[in-house]
Amino acid sequence: MSTATAIRARDLAKSFTVGKVSTRVLEGLSVDLAGGELTMLSGPSGCGKSTLLAILSGLERPDAGSVEALGEPVWYLNRKALQRFRLHHIGFVFQGFNLFPALNAVEQVELPLSYLDLGAAETRRRAEAALEEVGLSHRRKLRPAELSGGEKQRVAIARALAKQPQLLFADEPTSALDSVSGQTVIDILHRAARQHGTMVLCASHDPRLIAHADRVLRMEDGRVLADEYHPHPAVAEEPVA
Amino acid sequence: MVALARKTLIYEWRRYLPASLAVAFSGMLLLVQLALVFGIFNGAAVYINASRGQIWAGYPGTQSIDLGRGIPRDTEMHLLADPQVAQVEPFQWVNGDWRGRRALGSVSVFVSGVDTAPDALAFARVIPPTLRALLNEPGAIIVDRADLPKLGISVGESGILNGYRVHLVGTTNGLRALGGVNIVASLATARRLNVGGDPRPAYYLVRLRDPGQAAAVAARLDPHGSERRYSVWTASTLAARTVHYWLFETGAGLGVVFMSLVVFLVGTVITSQTLMGAVAGSISEYATLNALGASRRALSRVVMEQAGWVGVAGLVGGGALSALALVVAHSQDVPVAITPLGTLACALLVMGITLLSGLLAVRTLRNADPAKLLR
Ligand SMILES: Nc1ncnc2c1ncn2[C@@H]1O[C@H](COP(=O)(O)OP(=O)(O)OP(=O)(O)O)[C@@H](O)[C@H]1O
Ligand SMILES: [Mg+2]
Repeated sequence: MSTATAIRARDLAKSFTVGKVSTRVLEGLSVDLAGGELTMLSGPSGCGKSTLLAILSGLERPDAGSVEALGEPVWYLNRKALQRFRLHHIGFVFQGFNLFPALNAVEQVELPLSYLDLGAAETRRRAEAALEEVGLSHRRKLRPAELSGGEKQRVAIARALAKQPQLLFADEPTSALDSVSGQTVIDILHRAARQHGTMVLCASHDPRLIAHADRVLRMEDGRVLADEYHPHPAVAEEPVA
Repeated sequence: MVALARKTLIYEWRRYLPASLAVAFSGMLLLVQLALVFGIFNGAAVYINASRGQIWAGYPGTQSIDLGRGIPRDTEMHLLADPQVAQVEPFQWVNGDWRGRRALGSVSVFVSGVDTAPDALAFARVIPPTLRALLNEPGAIIVDRADLPKLGISVGESGILNGYRVHLVGTTNGLRALGGVNIVASLATARRLNVGGDPRPAYYLVRLRDPGQAAAVAARLDPHGSERRYSVWTASTLAARTVHYWLFETGAGLGVVFMSLVVFLVGTVITSQTLMGAVAGSISEYATLNALGASRRALSRVVMEQAGWVGVAGLVGGGALSALALVVAHSQDVPVAITPLGTLACALLVMGITLLSGLLAVRTLRNADPAKLLR
């Protein structure tokens, strides 16, 4: 388990202007995130969790402040370099599963891998391994329409994990799922952090998940109000089915 | 490589069907309008298409067969000197003014003076030898059955042509002209009707021993230099020159171009709207791929590949629809004709519709903003 700093963000500020009204979403927020840890970002709706995730992951440019990810100054990279950085180092899990209706589970996972030029055999091997990791090997030939919500989210996680990213961002990954499926999803994310040393940052206002995090950041009004470490987070013992 | 474009097309074919149909119907409209126009204007070349023989000699640079002028009589000797030439026959061209019954006024007519021998070439496809023999009688003429009401005459009756009395000895099919009435007479009758005009024949028709040699023999017989007194064409070249001349002389050619632009526009609007709808429907999937590191270019390729397959399906469908429409038109005696070049042009336009629609759909990908997935 690595504790090296994976992300170092300093003095982030972001506001959105709609019409004549300007809303400050982040105000001078600084945070360090370590590899091998599952960090939960919690807070009331609209406090800026998703915005922070987007800025840290290189999807949304901050108004001020800096983000250093794996030693790279993310917001000094040009668009192409940033895209390459995301391709090689970052995985995403979104609230919506965003799976292509026409592809079966293996193909969903293979698709982003194919942009890494790994070769057909290695791509297939990694996709199968990622599906195994989320416990869906037996569903690998099924399309999204034939999968349950929880299974779809696990396919989406497999798609993010198959790239073997050092940074994994998840935005409300369980909010569309029942509690058992949500539990399964959070266990998978936790194991990814433990076994691969991945930095996992998960935004959620689901209180059930907080017990499973290594660290909890509580946000309010664009700032981090509290930063708590859980030395022994609850880990499900039985493997995922 | 996961074949995302193809798998999506197959799985969600209903979504893409309107695009393929738009391409197919555009292709059919383009081809059928072209075939109709060519079919109608082929009538201008009826003198050539209804005759046998592979080569025509006429006034130098003649653009359309109805613009022929007299050429020297020794042309016949020059043509006969070629070992490939089996038969040469004069063709007289006289513009005329017809007066039948008083109520119909005068009608402008084209008189073709032809050889009356049983094996004559001119109009051999529409005038059988027995009918042709009737032309030997002085003042005898033959017209298309469909032109009888215009002339106000029936078989056995007579009328006044260029001031001379002529009488109708028979009718046939497939003689209709564009912009006037065709009248066939013997060379002798035509000469009499040709008051004050050039008494020399306007054309010589040539039959070759080996019809396959037409292009080579025409090239060899065509005199070079500025002093030449006649030109030599293959029958198909002269027919094509004539059809082209009429297409542009009448403005129909511009009409075809204009109509093609309209079809292109409508086809592109419908096809691109369908493709854009399909892209918009998968926009969060595309955005997710982009977040995971797939480049815009890679996503654009997926959309363009889909457009390409839609185009291929539309091309095949359009081909089938066109074939069906042409068969039906043919069976109903609607004049239609297609040329390989015209078909190729239609296919290219159809691919242009697809390409442009694909490019327009690619623009929709701009909405694939991965930051929007985080809310
Ligand atoms: N593109 C945008 N344009 C305008 N305002 C925006 C935009 N994105 C976010 N906001 C505003 O920023 C604030 C924070 O949004 P954000 O999505 O980060 O909240 P959140 O903490 O993720 O909330 P939730 O828990 O409901 O997902 C909200 O008030 C939102 O209205
Ligand atoms: Mg949010």
